[in-house]
Amino acid sequence: MKIRKLLFVTDFEELWFDALQSLMDLRKVGLEHVIFLHVIEREKVAMRRGVGYLKDEEVKLREMTNVRFVDWAESLFETGMECGAYILVGSPVPKVLSVANEEKADLIVTGAHKDKETIEILRRAPIPVLVHKYGIKKSERPFERPIFVTDWSPPCERALEYLISLNNIVSKAIVIHAIPEKSIKGLNRIEIQKMQKENKRRLEEVCDTLSSEGISSEFHLYMGEVTEQIKKAISEHNASMIVAGTTGKGAWRARWLGSVSHELVQESELPILLVPKVG
Amino acid sequence: MKKNILVADDDIDVITFVSTVLEKIGYKVTGAKDGEEALSKIKGNKPDLIILDILMPKQSGIKMYRELKTDESLKDIPVVILSAISKRTFLRSQEALTEFGGEAVPEPEVYIEKPVEPEDLAQTVKEVLSKKGG
Repeated sequence: MKIRKLLFVTDFEELWFDALQSLMDLRKVGLEHVIFLHVIEREKVAMRRGVGYLKDEEVKLREMTNVRFVDWAESLFETGMECGAYILVGSPVPKVLSVANEEKADLIVTGAHKDKETIEILRRAPIPVLVHKYGIKKSERPFERPIFVTDWSPPCERALEYLISLNNIVSKAIVIHAIPEKSIKGLNRIEIQKMQKENKRRLEEVCDTLSSEGISSEFHLYMGEVTEQIKKAISEHNASMIVAGTTGKGAWRARWLGSVSHELVQESELPILLVPKVG
Repeated sequence: MKKNILVADDDIDVITFVSTVLEKIGYKVTGAKDGEEALSKIKGNKPDLIILDILMPKQSGIKMYRELKTDESLKDIPVVILSAISKRTFLRSQEALTEFGGEAVPEPEVYIEKPVEPEDLAQTVKEVLSKKGG
């Protein structure tokens, strides 16, 4: 699992070149090609009563984008990086997905401020998506201290593989599992302790796997309302990014994309890397 | 027989502009919207000259130029770069790629930073082709 080609989606509100530069550590793990994408929303140039299609406005917006992309590309080209750019008119989500597919990108990087679009991209993208929060918290090295959130599902195993592929740029991984409050309902103290013990054993296994791949790590077990526990873990352990898995369908998706990831995308100050299940 | 010129640019307006200028003075022009499509067309029908943009989807002009100049059967095709990317960046990027273990490649015949006047484009193409015996 390599990140060779990255699709950088910007609307120039939140993600600028400094946000992209913060991801250049990925070169150490194989990144060699960056594609810039800006979608001019159709409403900005659409047919209007009495004036028709705003062609001049489209030309102006294209040129304003082009001047930035040329500038960014010049900086990257000079370091030996391969670059490409798209400036398209239309609906952002389908355009992002279609360019990612056409370019065979390995990772989509997008901002979080347009919440509905971001969630839609997360729902539909068949490749990992990094929701960068650079406009909120300027982290120069987001991959340095990721927090890996697992619920033991297969997508989380894939997210773990993804994390392992970043081994050269991760200084320390924080592995957490939050036992949902509702899963301990009706259990007695011994049963709850057994559950804790079992989860700790599994967390230890994850840390052993990371260690065997050269990634230093530590684990922490939480119990309670999942989103709140993850947010606590983030602040407690000074994490630089959240890494998690997400399925295309089913309960995990509903939980992650319906509430947990949605809330984190909205509320967390950290970048969130979501890895979908294979296929 | 008309000389064949291939224009690789993701901007359809540029392809139209170049085609109009060069067809008017007797050349046959084919367009390609990115580096991959351009290379495939070049391999299918070797042109007499290539006009190449740099910042394109799928494969940039920088990478495509290296592929052309390191391919024995294609390296003699003259290349005119027509791009908003500066010549300085182009040369530095080629140096960087050579430093990373790539083969050193020669400079392009002509480097034009966009925009270009129609007369200048026509004159440049004529000169480059005449140097190559055309």
